Amino acid sequence: MTAGPPHRRRFLVGFAAALVLGAALSQWVLTRASERESEFRATRIAVVGASALAEVAGRAGGVGDGLRRAVAEFARDNTEVSSARIVILDGISLEASTAPADRGEKAAPRRLTREEKPLYDQAQGLRAAVETNRQEGTARKPEIETAAVSGRALSAAAPLEKDAAVVGMAMVETTPPPPSPPPGWLFPLLVVAFGVLAYWLATLATGERRGWLAGAACLLLLVAMALLGWHAFATLAGERRLTESGVASAVAIEAGRTQRALRELGQGAAAAPLHPGRWDTDLFRRPFGIVRDDGSVDTAKVESALANGVSSTTRVTGGVTALALALLCFVGFGAAGRLGATIRRYRQAYAYTFPAMFGMLVLVFLPFLYGVVLSFSDMSLYSSQASIGDLFTKLWVGLKNFADVLGDFHVATSTAGGLVWNYQNFYWTLGVTIVWTLTNVAYGVGMGLFLALILNTKGLLFRPIYRVIFILPWAMPNYITALIWKGMFHQQFGVINQIIQMFGGTPVSWFESPGTSLFACIATNAWLSVPFMMVISLGALQSISADLYEAARVDGAGRWQQFRSITLPSLKPALVPAVILSVIWTFNMFNIIYLVSGGDPAHSTEILITQAYKFAFEQYRYGYAAAYSMVIFAILLAYGIWQNKVTKATEGI
Amino acid sequence: MSRSRRSEEYPHFPLHLILLVYVVVTLYPLLWVFTIGFSGRQDLFIVDIPANPTFLNRLRAIMPWPAHVSVSNFVSVFTEQPFARWLFNSTVVAIATTLLGVFLACTSAYAFSRFKFPGRRAGLMSFLVSQMFPGTLMMIPLYIIIVKWLGLGSTYLGLILVYAITGIPFCVWMLKGYFDTIPRELEESALMDGASAAVIFYRIVLPLAKPAVAVTALFSFMTAWNEYIQAQTFMDKVTMYTAPVGLKFFVGGFQQQWGYFAAGAIITAIPIVALFLFLQKYLISGLTAGAVKG
Repeated sequence: MTAGPPHRRRFLVGFAAALVLGAALSQWVLTRASERESEFRATRIAVVGASALAEVAGRAGGVGDGLRRAVAEFARDNTEVSSARIVILDGISLEASTAPADRGEKAAPRRLTREEKPLYDQAQGLRAAVETNRQEGTARKPEIETAAVSGRALSAAAPLEKDAAVVGMAMVETTPPPPSPPPGWLFPLLVVAFGVLAYWLATLATGERRGWLAGAACLLLLVAMALLGWHAFATLAGERRLTESGVASAVAIEAGRTQRALRELGQGAAAAPLHPGRWDTDLFRRPFGIVRDDGSVDTAKVESALANGVSSTTRVTGGVTALALALLCFVGFGAAGRLGATIRRYRQAYAYTFPAMFGMLVLVFLPFLYGVVLSFSDMSLYSSQASIGDLFTKLWVGLKNFADVLGDFHVATSTAGGLVWNYQNFYWTLGVTIVWTLTNVAYGVGMGLFLALILNTKGLLFRPIYRVIFILPWAMPNYITALIWKGMFHQQFGVINQIIQMFGGTPVSWFESPGTSLFACIATNAWLSVPFMMVISLGALQSISADLYEAARVDGAGRWQQFRSITLPSLKPALVPAVILSVIWTFNMFNIIYLVSGGDPAHSTEILITQAYKFAFEQYRYGYAAAYSMVIFAILLAYGIWQNKVTKATEGI
Repeated sequence: MSRSRRSEEYPHFPLHLILLVYVVVTLYPLLWVFTIGFSGRQDLFIVDIPANPTFLNRLRAIMPWPAHVSVSNFVSVFTEQPFARWLFNSTVVAIATTLLGVFLACTSAYAFSRFKFPGRRAGLMSFLVSQMFPGTLMMIPLYIIIVKWLGLGSTYLGLILVYAITGIPFCVWMLKGYFDTIPRELEESALMDGASAAVIFYRIVLPLAKPAVAVTALFSFMTAWNEYIQAQTFMDKVTMYTAPVGLKFFVGGFQQQWGYFAAGAIITAIPIVALFLFLQKYLISGLTAGAVKG
């Protein structure tokens, strides 16, 4: 049996694989979108119910038998709304309820029980949300809450307003219409089958010419993907029209019930005209404006919204197409075959590295990439439920975070009382970090070298004992060191203030001004960073041959000259890498700052890395914190590259 | 000759004086912890100071010796506080991290040391670069992956995975450096005798590399034992705290239980300090080797 010509076969396989991938991905996206549309529909219908009930209750004045009659009338024979409840904040009461659980002894009106505290909290939450949004003039906090109950049932809670103030909560339980069936597989399968057939026919014409094979494959793939995209859009548009008509009929039905309930209340309540179209809102109670008051759909608006929606379908289809094309080229031009051959050939090496590499991919490189994406987004506490897709769309803010970090030069504002420093400004923190790093490294090198020189004295007694004692701060876990020193710097009971008082000084509130606070941190870190430098220097000193000094003395060199021309140059190869390492360590020394000063006072003694942590885990500004960390990464990378040049590091690889 | 030699050296007495001053600076914070730990009280100060203290009162207050020696703090951290549980958590996490991390690092380092394969240089470089990723940038996504996607918040497994895998690059570099020094002739002759790669790795290379593996393992153990901020982020439940998070718990926020802290700190630190002193020679050479390379 003769194998088919290589190019043609490869392109056929590649085309088929790419088409299957494209079709499967589009189908998956479509299914998800269709599910979301069903949820959206159910939510909107539930919101209409809750808003209608809130309207009835609001017009009934929020209390009394009239209200209960109206609510009962509203919920009677109501197939969409299976139960309605009114919670009034003042008096913590369940004012009206048609829920099966609230019969007999538990019939409204009554005070809420202890177990029902969540209801009260929810009503309070809604009131707070409405007030916040009104004050800020924004729609930041949802004013309507929906939750899945049992089965498919959905509950919705809307604020109950009287004279423009929130006095309670109207809550309905609704049975949403059955969700749409998932999109069928027939169309994508047909596209794949016909696509592959068409390409096979085309390859008969092109033969083994690679350019033609590739061109035809790309062209056919684009056509097929366009078909799939059009199909997806048509399906979703149909779903959306279904949503609008479903919501419209819900509005019409609830309007009828509301009229009935208002008649029960009498003339006064029914006086003002109803605007049922305004019940169809998003969760911030902003009307969609698609359903009219008479319960008909504003078709023109739906169609224009759909036309706007084309671009998002195009973007998704475009993304999927790009992936499919990449796969096509990867297989078609033989890269996949070569990769497979490489893996087979070196399978032993790859098998040995795979577990570590896989772990690194999932827990190091993937988080890093995610962090990079995060830095271009506005993710925060308010959007912590956002999906990865949202990061690229709704929450995408481009370079804004970086501009906010790097472009904010308001380090200080001058006021009548002098300069006021902005301690959370990037450049302030950068300045603190530089002072922190330089001071610590300089002290570490100076003191370490000084002690090493003394310890290196010939014939010095007890040298091993001194060495072990001096190394202890390095051996101690640094979080313990930090907490110890925090205790010693305690304003009232700390030992350091006792010593100051012993010599007649006044105790210092170490953590109440930036200068003393940073000093406390530096003192702590200085204590623990000396041993490393001392050990490195001592090792280097001991490896200098005594003959060198002997020769120098013979030549008449003085002590200082010997130090400069023998000791220092011999220390250099050991000290330079140690200094480089210690700069990175100190720059990243999270524990000391975090545990000793904690940034006090007012974040003035944060270094970059602790400040980034606080933006993320105390202020929950994830996007901003990620951008902040990226800047730190850039600084470290630049330093690393520079250091690489200095030490000519990578030769050994 | 001997006379001139002596004049070259400093007299030793002032040198000892300087060294002794620094010995006091070094030991004082440590003695202070011991004092608080054995004081039997929760206070920061060593003795009560009278209303109008004299110089001697104050001097006594800074002398690191408790007014009454008592081991009650050491007993209480185990009986009244969940410190035993925290120590147990730390032990489990540190040991599992060591086993997993060293296994992953050994195989990977062996491949990087012995095989030439496409992607080798890129892999080693990516390990180096990953060491520069700032912890805070990684922590948000790691939190999302570990806690939200994998549902491993407040579990041993979550913390073990994070520690073991973020420690891989350092361990690989250390082990690879050692594997490189093992002569290849041994393996080649075994290959001639028909041994498979796995046999060579487990029977020849690993036994030869025992010292380096031991140092790497102890290093992994120490890192996991001493880690604070990730443990605080991933372990929400008090019963799942590791020892560092627990020690911070004693004196963080409005808690001021310095006696418990000191006793706990002594118990937590002594094994690790002993380990460090025992291993320092290897650690230092490993660190400086790493520094020169990267």
